[in-house]
Parts: sequence; structure tokens; C-alpha cells
Amino acid sequence: MTAGNGILLQVSGLTKRYGEVRAVDGISFSVPRGTVFTILGPNGAGKTTTLEILEGLRAPDSGEIELFGRRIARVDRREKARMGVLLQEGNFEPYLRVKEVIGLFGSFFPRARPVNEILELVALTEKRNAFVKELSGGQRQRLALGTALVNDPDLLFLDEPTTGLDPQARRNIWSIVADLKDQGKTIVLTTHYMEEAETLSDQVCIMDHGRIIAAGSPRVLTARLGEETIIEFTAPGMIGVPVVPSGGKVRRDGDAVLVEVTDLVPALRDLLAWAHENGVPLDNMIIRQPNLEDVFLSLTGRRLRE
Amino acid sequence: MKGIVALARTHLLTSLRERVTLFWFIVFPVFLLVILTLIFGNIGRQGGMNFQVGLINLEDRAGGGPDLAGIVVEAFTAIGEPRDGKEPLFTLHRPGPGEDKQGFLTRAEEELRRGKLTAVVIIPRGFNRAILSGERAEITLYVDPTRDGSQLAAAIIREVISGIDREILVRTGRFDQERAVPVRSEPLEGGPVSFSYASFLLPGVILMAFFTAGLFGVPGAILYARDRFQLRRYWVTPLTPARYFIGFTLGQGGLCLLQFVVLFLIGEYGLGAGVDFSRPAAAAFLLLGFLTFLSFGFLIASIARTANGGMAIANILNIPLMFLGGLFFPLGELPGFLQAVVLVNPVTYIAAGLRVGLGLTKGTISPIASVLVPLGWIALSILVAARRLSWEAA
Repeated sequence: MTAGNGILLQVSGLTKRYGEVRAVDGISFSVPRGTVFTILGPNGAGKTTTLEILEGLRAPDSGEIELFGRRIARVDRREKARMGVLLQEGNFEPYLRVKEVIGLFGSFFPRARPVNEILELVALTEKRNAFVKELSGGQRQRLALGTALVNDPDLLFLDEPTTGLDPQARRNIWSIVADLKDQGKTIVLTTHYMEEAETLSDQVCIMDHGRIIAAGSPRVLTARLGEETIIEFTAPGMIGVPVVPSGGKVRRDGDAVLVEVTDLVPALRDLLAWAHENGVPLDNMIIRQPNLEDVFLSLTGRRLRE
Repeated sequence: MKGIVALARTHLLTSLRERVTLFWFIVFPVFLLVILTLIFGNIGRQGGMNFQVGLINLEDRAGGGPDLAGIVVEAFTAIGEPRDGKEPLFTLHRPGPGEDKQGFLTRAEEELRRGKLTAVVIIPRGFNRAILSGERAEITLYVDPTRDGSQLAAAIIREVISGIDREILVRTGRFDQERAVPVRSEPLEGGPVSFSYASFLLPGVILMAFFTAGLFGVPGAILYARDRFQLRRYWVTPLTPARYFIGFTLGQGGLCLLQFVVLFLIGEYGLGAGVDFSRPAAAAFLLLGFLTFLSFGFLIASIARTANGGMAIANILNIPLMFLGGLFFPLGELPGFLQAVVLVNPVTYIAAGLRVGLGLTKGTISPIASVLVPLGWIALSILVAARRLSWEAA
């Protein structure tokens, strides 16, 4: 199998076992040049192992990888020189200055962008002389992103880039990734934040237990749930489920109640009547379109972050 | 190549910026060099070594006959006189005219406990008679075994008394001068007569600095970087473990070079050590020491599962290897099990080899052993590290 024009990365039948556990179980996908490809899944789905194979940290047990137009057994120095990687975990030497970290990582590549350019890109120019230990969590993650961009990579791997960050820091990272996408960079992203996947991705594949259970654009994937609208509210301690005579599928998810309806107005009328009769307050009620979380829930019966 | 140089620079920079490593790798060796030289600096200097010695003659002259106890007193008095304007070896403290000898003895013992006196020599009552009748005559020597100066003084006093003893035997006709075995006066470690503690200590402290940097610095830097996934960030770039190893080693070499320069300047110009490090053999043993301790560090890094485990192993090895390697004091008589540590300890061979290379001592270890034993440790350490060292956190 040879990737066609415009495909930067193609994976076929990739497998990795740890003892009896198949962390990655024969997955296949392809990433077109200039797109953001997101691997979505809960913890333990096999996302990070997949990325570690593609980053050259692990060798696969079987499967084919075609990267930058070359079929390879495992990713090596030649491929790494054209890749940028933001790992899920990893620190920097606390007593190095920000500019020194960027300079150090730049020295590992045959060609590197100027330090100031990278600092500007990740909005750390003002912190250029600060020690790593003085940075906030969001600044450290931007520094890590800077080290991934130092060689002006053709392919960028971002493994859970916003996990553990506050909402503001998360949006800062999203903004940088969106800029990179606009510049035509090819990005492979893993996340368990559906909003992140929906905001940034051109293509999404959903993994669970080492396998890809669904793939496509966020719009295509959510369209699988049909033309439904979701009414969601919380009802702690509620006994029984709402009666919606006009039609609708009701699901409980902890304290949350989700009512999937095709015809919103009569369904809403029925639901309000039921709530009034039964004294249910319908706390935090929202009406929304289905998202990737709902797709995952409909496919596995579990939420992404369970 | 630029990656290797950048890694070397990074290792050096971070070692110096972190207060803990800066203290242990630079400040502490300087402190140790200065403080030990200030305390023991007079040892061995010609005319500079001086011990405060109490001398009490309890012999009663009432019995008549030759005053052999007096000979002993004369001998010590002669040693206690300045020669060529230099300070004498002993400053003698004796009972004043009419002073009660027992009272003086009690006071001398107290001053010995307080460190004001280094040793107290007591010539017992009946000393003359005992010698003349062929009985066992004993001179009592009080020393404080917890003080190094006291032990050194004791060794010198025993030597002096041994000389007096022979003289007495000759004078009393009990000893054949022709058959006398002259006692050859050997300075400490058999080196030149102008032994200086600062010159003995400086190479030892330099090696200690290398030793500490290798034993603690190498596994500390590698294992903490591994456990905190710093190394992982490197492995997703084109950097390979082999290039990292070279860069790290160069950085460690830079650190040791800095240690050497700082200690040499202070030792040479601040403490007057007068050690010629330009000798090729000395440079070779410094390099051998650096490589041995570096490989020791990699050995520890390879057998420890975590950074904390590595530090624990380094701590366990630190004291026996450092203090039973002759870095600070000449290795004297030690119990058997400690001798075993001395014999397998590469520090022993490197320290001895370096001092011989510097012309400070004649050396009691063969030059071949001085080179081969550390080389053996390097080979063993590299072999184990190559097989066991994991670049990924467990």
C-alpha cells in the first residue's frame, strides 16, 4: 500500500501489545497534509501508545507506517528531524532559562528557527530570561510547544496538549494550534476534550480499547446521531424518567438527564408538563446539538472521561 | 556536534545554578581544603610543627646511681629548644620549682583533655632501678586518641623514647653499639623531608571534588532527568542516547575542570601548597580519577530504579570510599575488614598514584596497580551501565 498524493502519514494494521493487553489493536488511518487529525478517546484507549510509536519512542509489534512518502519499520532520526512533538508528560531542567531551552532543543536538529522567532510564536518573548521553575503551567506548556516547533516541522504531534491547564491557558494553546493550522502545518492531536477536538480538528478518529470505533469529520460523526436535538438537565435523586409522548429517547448519565428529540417544540412542551406535574426543577437545562461526547456515549455507553 | 556542545553547556550551567550542587561540588571542597589546612597545616613543616608536651619525672634520686631518668628529661629538653631560630618540635611543660608533681600531673591531664596539651610523658618512680636491674621499665604516655595531632605527637614521642632507650642501654653497657639497628627516620608516607600538609591535602581534595561530582552528580542528573521525563523530550528529537552520553560527559568534564581550577588557585596561592600539577603523570591520574568517578556515577545510575534510590546508593558508598581512600589523611594501620575496603577502593590507587605523580610521596602501591585497578573499575562500570542503564523511567 502506498499513500497517495497529499497523504503525509498513513498507518495500516498498527499493533502494540504489553503482555496480554493489546494497547493498540490493528488500527489504520491516514492523515492528509495540512490538516488537523485528532485521536479522541478515554484514558487507556491507546491514543498515547499510538502516538509514541509514531514519535519513535516505541517500536510497533506489527503494522505498516508510511511517513513523508517513505515506508518505514519504525520512526528514526531521519523522520524525527522533520517532526515536532509535544509530549503529554515531561519537564524541563528547572534551572535553564526559557531562551536556553529553545536554543538547546534547536541544537538537536540540522536546521532550527531563530530562538526569538519561536518565543514570539508561543508568546513567551517577555519570559525569555526567566528560569523554567518560574513559569506557570500554561507557560510551561507553551514552552513545550515551542520546543516542538523549533525545527519548523512538517508534521506536529500534540499529545493531550491542554490537559491540566486552566480554561484561559487552554484557549491560548488552541489559538496557537489554529494559527499553525492556518500556516498549513499537519497536526496529529490526541485529546479527551471533545470541545478541543471539535474546535481544532478536520478529521477525528475515536479510539476505545486499542481500536478505532469511528472516524470522520466532527460534522459527519455527530450526524450519525441523526437530526436530533438534545435537551439536557440535572435532576439529583430523581426517580423515574420523563414521559415525552411526542417522541424522544431518554438517557440517564449520573445526575444528568439527556432527552434526544427530533421535533423540539412538542417535546419541550411535554417535558415541561411532566416536570410541573412531578415537581422536577429541571436544573441547568440546556438545549444543544449532539457533540462528539454524545457520539462516544452512543457507541460505547460510557463517557469519554470515565 | 552542536547538540553535544549545547548539552555539555547545559549540564555545566545547571550544576552551577542549583544551590545544592554548587555547594557540594565547589563550595564544600574549597571549605574543606581551607579548614583542614588551617587545622593541620603545621604538620610536617620544617620548624613549623610544634606540640605542647607535659613532662613529669617522678623518679626519686635518693637511691644514688646513674640518673637514667635524667637522660630522658635531657633528651626531651634538647628537642624542646629552638634550633636555627625555628620553633622547636616540642614545647615542654614541666612542674615549676617546688611545685607538687602529683598536682602538676592532675593539672596536665586536665589540660590534655581540654586540648591545651598534646601529650603528657611520665617517668615513673623506680625507673632507674628497674633499668639497672633488668626489669621492665615503662614510661607512661598520655594522649587523647580523639585528636589527630595527639596521635601524631604520640608516634614521635615513642620514636624519641625508643632512641633514648637504646642510648641508655649503650651507656649502661647492656647494648652492643655495633649491633645496634639504627632507626631510620621516615617522614609521613615516606616522602621528601619537607612534607607539607597543604600539598598532601590539595590533590586529595581535588579528587574528592571529582569523586563527589561523579558519585552524586552523574546519577542525580541522569535519574532525575529520566524520572521527570526530561530525557523523553530529548528522545523525540534526532538526539540519540550516545550523543547525549558524550555531551553529558563533556559537561561533567567541564565541571571537574572548574573544580580543579578553583581548588588549585586557592590551594596554590591562598594556602601555599606548592604542588606541580604540570607533570604529565599528575594530569594522567587526574584524568583517570575523573573517568573512574564518572563511570561510577553511570554504574549507580544503571542499578538504581529511581533518582532517590540512586542518591541512597551514592550515600552508602560515599563515606567508605572517600575516607578509606587516603584522600585526606595517610592510611595507617586499619582493621582487616577496613583494609579490604582500602584494597578494592579505586580511590586508594588514584590518590596514591596522583601523589606519586606529583612527587609528593614515594608511594607504597605499584604504578601498575595504580592504573590497572581504576581501569578495571571503569571497565566493569561501563559494562554494567551499557547493559542495565535505562533511558526511560520505569
